[in-house]
Amino acid sequence: MKNKEISIYIHIPFCERKCDYCAFVSFCASKNVQDEYVNFLVKEIEDFKTDAVVKTIYFGGGTPSVLSEENLQKIFDALNRNYKFKKNVEITIEVNPNSLSEEKLKFYKGLGINRLSIGVQSLNDETLKKIGRLHNKEMAINLVKKASLYFDNISADLILGLENEKDVYKYAEILIDLGVKHISAYMLEVHKNTPIFDKVKNKTFLPLDDEEVANEYKKLVEFLKSKDFNQYEISNFALKGYESKHNLNYWTFGDYIGFGVSAHSYISGKRFANADNLKDYYKKIVIQDENNFQTEIEERLFLGLRCESGVDLKILKKLGYDITKNENYEKFKKENIIFEKNDKIFLNKENYLVSDYIISHLLPDD
Amino acid sequence: MNNNLDYIRNFCIIAHIDHGKSTLADRLIELTGTVSKREMQDQILDSMELEREKGITIKLAPTRLVYEYKGEEYILNLIDTPGHVDFTYEVSRSLAACEGAILIVDASQGVEAQTLANTYLALDNNLEIVPVINKIDLPSARVEEVKKEIEEVIGLDAEDCPCISAKEGLNVEDVLKAIIEKIPAPKGDKNGKLKCLIFDSHYDNFKGAICLIRVFDGKVKKGDKILMMQTNKIFEVTEVGIFVPTTKEVDILKAGDVGYLAGSIKTIQDVKVGDTITSAEDPVENVLPGYKEVQPVVFCGIFPVDGAKYGELKDALDKLRLNDASLQFTPENSTALGYGFRCGFLGLLHLEIITERLEREFNLDIITTAPSVSYHVYKTSGDMLEISNPSNLPPQVEIEKIEEPMVKVNVFTPPEYVGSIMDLCQDKRGVYKNMTYLDKRRVELNYDLPLGEIIYDFFDSLKSRTHGYASFDYEPNGYAVSDLVRVDILLNGEKCDALSLIVHKDKAYSRGRELAERLKKIIPRQLFEVPIQACIGNKIIARETISALRKDVLAKCYGGDITRKRKLLEKQKEGKKRMRKIGSVEIPSEAFMSILKLNDEE
Repeated sequence: MKNKEISIYIHIPFCERKCDYCAFVSFCASKNVQDEYVNFLVKEIEDFKTDAVVKTIYFGGGTPSVLSEENLQKIFDALNRNYKFKKNVEITIEVNPNSLSEEKLKFYKGLGINRLSIGVQSLNDETLKKIGRLHNKEMAINLVKKASLYFDNISADLILGLENEKDVYKYAEILIDLGVKHISAYMLEVHKNTPIFDKVKNKTFLPLDDEEVANEYKKLVEFLKSKDFNQYEISNFALKGYESKHNLNYWTFGDYIGFGVSAHSYISGKRFANADNLKDYYKKIVIQDENNFQTEIEERLFLGLRCESGVDLKILKKLGYDITKNENYEKFKKENIIFEKNDKIFLNKENYLVSDYIISHLLPDD
Repeated sequence: MNNNLDYIRNFCIIAHIDHGKSTLADRLIELTGTVSKREMQDQILDSMELEREKGITIKLAPTRLVYEYKGEEYILNLIDTPGHVDFTYEVSRSLAACEGAILIVDASQGVEAQTLANTYLALDNNLEIVPVINKIDLPSARVEEVKKEIEEVIGLDAEDCPCISAKEGLNVEDVLKAIIEKIPAPKGDKNGKLKCLIFDSHYDNFKGAICLIRVFDGKVKKGDKILMMQTNKIFEVTEVGIFVPTTKEVDILKAGDVGYLAGSIKTIQDVKVGDTITSAEDPVENVLPGYKEVQPVVFCGIFPVDGAKYGELKDALDKLRLNDASLQFTPENSTALGYGFRCGFLGLLHLEIITERLEREFNLDIITTAPSVSYHVYKTSGDMLEISNPSNLPPQVEIEKIEEPMVKVNVFTPPEYVGSIMDLCQDKRGVYKNMTYLDKRRVELNYDLPLGEIIYDFFDSLKSRTHGYASFDYEPNGYAVSDLVRVDILLNGEKCDALSLIVHKDKAYSRGRELAERLKKIIPRQLFEVPIQACIGNKIIARETISALRKDVLAKCYGGDITRKRKLLEKQKEGKKRMRKIGSVEIPSEAFMSILKLNDEE
């Protein structure tokens, strides 16, 4: 029998400076606060027992690269003490281009980290400054260069829709030439209670409009295609074999455990999350998410349609939803918006940009 | 208590809107100690939530006041009335139950359009009219001039009329004295055969339909068998009572009294406002004159947002009609909106109030279509059709001529706005009739106008052009031939029947263009490009295009928080539910009312 597998997400909520658009749980913190947090993380890891084999680990944030070597070591020690790893386990850490020394890169390598996700976002100094990033183009390029000495699997994040950013694909070109194997291109989301929300409101920051973002996205998709980067999800592109196994696991209903403040988990069909503030997190407050046939149908549908893997019609049916009876199903099929193959349905990639519209029209009635 | 008819007065209060009817009613109630100070709240008779909010009276509310005058105790039955032009019908109902009317005139505004209209109604009903000048505490009060206006414009003796401030409670006793001295006592024979008029009704979940009655002859008590003369239904009385102003059961109601009666009347349709009630065992021969049924003049379609709620909508309309006989409705089917009702109203405010009551009191989500009037369509075949739903208009080739309802409009205005009002009336296809300078500060303008133009945005335009200083009133004035066409709206090539409208030919192009522009703003982008076309017959007169949706995606879906994303999609799905589909185009329900608001952006 095949061993059960699991992914691990570890949230590091610390940053040197919070970016203007960031709506994740993150903040600046002193060494003491960080130490306390890591000690608690270690306890959380010790308390979670599983027979499953770990297939991926992902350090997300915040900015995990602000962690001291000592603290990161402690976390790895705990992981090693408690879990069995798969032979080709994928271990990713998110890093920022500022203040990441070559020593630290070597240290990561030594710990077994084998994938870097670099928060490049843009290669335009003015833009970077405007959105509150602490690095510039030169720092980003230097980091990619240094990192490729130690790592093969490097991903870079880019943001679409920032003010004046009309040729994002050119950044991708530079990064790919430097050896980046994976690109995540996210469209700017302006969330309430972020500095950028106010800037947009008082017009000191002018994000691109939908039409322009759509054009940027199309250009980028075309370009990456020409570079043999496969679009395996709405915002994710990779050379063959370099897809993020960790993210794929989220979208294909694999189990995952999240450690740290605001970390989400999905285990044996149950979704839950740690509290999203430190105080409650330290009290071990866990929020159970709503979970039933209906929510699973909806999740399967949108997760599957958003990526290459598609949605299994038989699974939907087993959950009680015959999507072929949905009033929009045949129409979308006829118009080649979705297509059916081997009992699965897929969203035509052309329509990724309007996927929310399409998916909301395919959800089951209550 | 004195049982003699001589010690009863039945009266109502009439006035132009905002001249202080409800405030005076409050003071009278307070002064006669009918309600304790503790229970007293402003506009005590305006019980409907909407009435308090809008500060207007919609439903007539009766109450019994007891007042001692020259050593004798009098019973004064007060029936509060609405002032707005739409509710003339309600006014006429209360008038039929009274012998006299207090006519309030605002000391600074003077005689207004509805002052006159309501006075004529009262005179038609042979009521004794007692003028009262209110708001004399205002710095702008001009009591002597207003007295002169009352005498010259209305023709009533105002020399000794009570001059009061209902708000300040000044001289209010004079009103009570005038009621007793000037309004005649009711006539009637309490030993005769029972004869009462139903002047209002409402539905109580425990007692069934409640009839508000004025007893003209005879008496009625619990256990009596009564006959509704028009519907020919017999009921046993389970309760009679009076309003103080909340209901209070009494043993008996006699000739001259105003009160209520319940009789386990479960079927709403059995109670007809204006009907005569008599004794089932010893009936009278002739019914009371009642009052003429009013014809609705403004029509619109009302549909449930959720098609499954058709039955609930019907029940709600039935219940509203019970105490609002002027509300009419018939089932209607629209390809765009499904099953609903074409409803007839007395005016736009009436329409607005009914739709708001449906939403608030019955918790219904409804879609209303743009209001229309009723047209007389003469076909070449010789038939005449009455059409209030634009989509029922026959093809142009079958039409010989169309007549539209006309109204006589009276506008009272300070002289400086005359020019602007004339422009407005001109623009609304009005025909000038007459202009009278009442005094230095008031001019009366008379126009003939198509009703269809009045319901469009006449009132709002008049208000904004005259900064609220002009008042207006209108009455039906027959039908007139007019060059009318139907403008249809095509969405992605498919006609949307609920958006059709009938307009004058000269205005068809501009209205079509405005409507297409507005729809472009209201209808969200779809997966494909959607052309919006306005047309007359097969001829396109305006076109707009909603370009295809370019971006509707939340890019970030990682970090494992699947639930947040799912909730966002669910929310989007909920929004979709409130949309209507025309062919493959989804339209938000607000779009159907948008025709009304064409001028918002001007």
